[in-house]
Amino acid sequence: MYHRADEGCGRVTGLKLRHPLSGAIYSRRDDGSVEVEEPDGSRGVFEPDGRWLRGELREADPHLLGFVGGPELASRRGPGTSAPRHTGGVPVPRFDGGATGSAAGRRRNLEMDLGLDGKRVLVTAASRGIGLATAQVFADHGCDVAICARGEAALTEAAKDLESRGARVFSQSVDVADADALKTFVTAAGEALGGLDILVANASAGGGPGEAAWQANFDIDVMGAVRCVDAALPFLRESDAGSVVFIGSTAALEFLGIPQAYNAMKAALIAHASDLSQSLAGQGIRVNTVSPGPVYFEGGNWEMIQQAMPAMYERALAQCAIGRMGTPEEVARTVVFLASPAASLVTGSNLVVDGGFTKRSAF
Amino acid sequence: MAIEPLAPARVGEGERSQGLSYQELLDTDTRTVPEVLRLQSARDLPVVRVPIERYVSREFHDLEVEKIWKKVWQFACREDELAEAGDHVVYDLADQSILIVRGDDGALRAFPNACLHRGRALKDRAGRSKALRCPFHGWTWSLDGRLQEVPCRWDFDHVDRDEHALKPLPVDTWGGFVFVNPDAAAAPLADHLGSLPRHFERWPLEKRYTEAHVARVMPCNWKVAQEAFMEAYHVVATHPQILHGIGDANSQYDAWDHFSRAITPNMTPSPHLKETPAEQEQLDAMMNRSLDAPPTVQVPEGMTARQILAQVSRMQLQGAVPSVTELSDAELADSFYYTVFPNFHPWGAYNRITYRFRPHGNDPHRSIMEVLYLAPYQGRKPEPAPVHWLDVDEPWTEAPELGSLAKVFSQDTFNMAPIQKGLRAARHTHVTLGRYQETKIRHFHCLLERYLEA
Repeated sequence: MYHRADEGCGRVTGLKLRHPLSGAIYSRRDDGSVEVEEPDGSRGVFEPDGRWLRGELREADPHLLGFVGGPELASRRGPGTSAPRHTGGVPVPRFDGGATGSAAGRRRNLEMDLGLDGKRVLVTAASRGIGLATAQVFADHGCDVAICARGEAALTEAAKDLESRGARVFSQSVDVADADALKTFVTAAGEALGGLDILVANASAGGGPGEAAWQANFDIDVMGAVRCVDAALPFLRESDAGSVVFIGSTAALEFLGIPQAYNAMKAALIAHASDLSQSLAGQGIRVNTVSPGPVYFEGGNWEMIQQAMPAMYERALAQCAIGRMGTPEEVARTVVFLASPAASLVTGSNLVVDGGFTKRSAF
Repeated sequence: MAIEPLAPARVGEGERSQGLSYQELLDTDTRTVPEVLRLQSARDLPVVRVPIERYVSREFHDLEVEKIWKKVWQFACREDELAEAGDHVVYDLADQSILIVRGDDGALRAFPNACLHRGRALKDRAGRSKALRCPFHGWTWSLDGRLQEVPCRWDFDHVDRDEHALKPLPVDTWGGFVFVNPDAAAAPLADHLGSLPRHFERWPLEKRYTEAHVARVMPCNWKVAQEAFMEAYHVVATHPQILHGIGDANSQYDAWDHFSRAITPNMTPSPHLKETPAEQEQLDAMMNRSLDAPPTVQVPEGMTARQILAQVSRMQLQGAVPSVTELSDAELADSFYYTVFPNFHPWGAYNRITYRFRPHGNDPHRSIMEVLYLAPYQGRKPEPAPVHWLDVDEPWTEAPELGSLAKVFSQDTFNMAPIQKGLRAARHTHVTLGRYQETKIRHFHCLLERYLEA
């Protein structure tokens, strides 16, 4: 074999090729068979292994038949963050972009272009949960991504998964509470990717009691976001699509059952996002918050709560108007939309993504 | 069973296809071409026919095991599969099983994978452990092979600790590859590799990580599979879709000591074509451009497909490869496929591919083909990809990590079972090889001959 391993950008489905020697046209059909038309107009349809199916033309080049037809490449999607096993019995709707069903042939393609192709995105704490799902959706939309997390092993896994989606990936093990390390990472990421267009500050210390939690939520949830923005600003100013998304929480909006630092610090974050949206608007940078309600995934907080505090888990589940908790991917799609040029008019908003978990009227 | 010389070796006019020679193509490079690409070996190999028996007989397989596999340096694994103390890999070939272990002192050691008590394989698969403990009765050796523990020691006062140390086998590394030799008296690996390391000085394979590793059971003898990847002569019939962008018949073939090399230029049209394709058509062929689709990459006015491909590759390698701007167009566009006797096929420059072929157990009609993508990286070295096994019925397209190259491997594999079938059915006794384009295969069989006679 003589071929280049990096010609992987080519397409091999829906393929139509001209045989360089005979001049015959080989066209893939939906069922994987191949229609061949010789320059003299004779036609035939063949199995990809060379077997004749129909038509006056009885023989074609089996190697080109196999290349144009035959099995398609297996999906390059990694295992990723599929729907959680437990969603309160309610199926998670599949999001399939621009599929237009049987009318596809006759309708104009109305699929909205998010304008993300080639954008450079930084997501903190992206080795699992909402952070990972967000980075994956960005990668699927043609973005290059910089990610950090504390644990090396999960980070390496995540980086591999993102690369398999075709993204250029810059990853570094970083403790977001470490101001210097965080700033160094953001700067290095911007340099490695040749700039930054989008920043998603996702890292959180999570919920917890006592003074230590106040300090941790301040250091990670609030200052982590503040410092990320500071370090990313030189890059975001250069971008024609500069955008920042903070991950808030519905815990900042409605009483969640226990007074804790997490709730108040998320409130501070939402307020700060709103301030930044005003001060940075003139520089072409949008700032928004996405506040998720309960999000369930394997190894996540709600799985832990389900086991350790079943009563609280059942209460929260009952409070979800749609009958189930959210998935990381559902939150991720919202973040990606808000961050994308498609949301160019949206700034200073706090978008609640909670399946009806909160009960207030959000005017 | 010997190979039969048909005619004395010849060099000169009329020996190769019309069109640019590879050396003439190098003269058009936009950068300085490294000296290693200017090398041309003497071609004094006897022209050969190879007995068909070599591909189909169990007796010949047994002879190969005795004369080659038990004597030769062979690529066992990548060094980063053995990163930490206690990491071990099991390398199996025919009835041989060799255990390779990283010691507490950081050294690599190889041992026959057999317990010195009642013979059970010490390890079933790769892993990490503090010591080498037999799962049958629990005899335990330290990572450096010293006998550490015998349960019910009182029952074995006839067992001397020193005599029952694991017997080390030669192990060494080059280019991030770990090699073992089942012959304790083998000459050093460096003797076997000869001048190969010099060829790879500019493309250090130790500075790569295993991005993908796919192993597939093939329905043919290991040499049938291997020999399909040692020449570009088959492109015209097996991979016609890329003829616009590959100088298949303008390839250069060389052979030295224990290794050989083919260079196939890309982004230069095949001499088989009746009309010269446009630069854009040359690029489109490599990108599998569909007739109804826009081009993936456009060749700008005044540039050649070869230059634009090299430029795109330079951009892709930026950061991961130091001094990428100095790499010649040739290094970024062409295919440099080496074969180190008997079964190791590292590719030069930055094409990522390494192949390995070996028998599947003792079945002369089955083999294992492995594809590794060794990619340059930035920053911390990523973990090596685990081996993705495909059975004989599972197509390459089941391995998404191979990208669209899976479709090309499928074209090669389409030939394998029918080759084996034809060889088994044949009433003639020898396969015939081309004088120039099948140089690498001829060189392989000359070496095989030398080992058989030793």
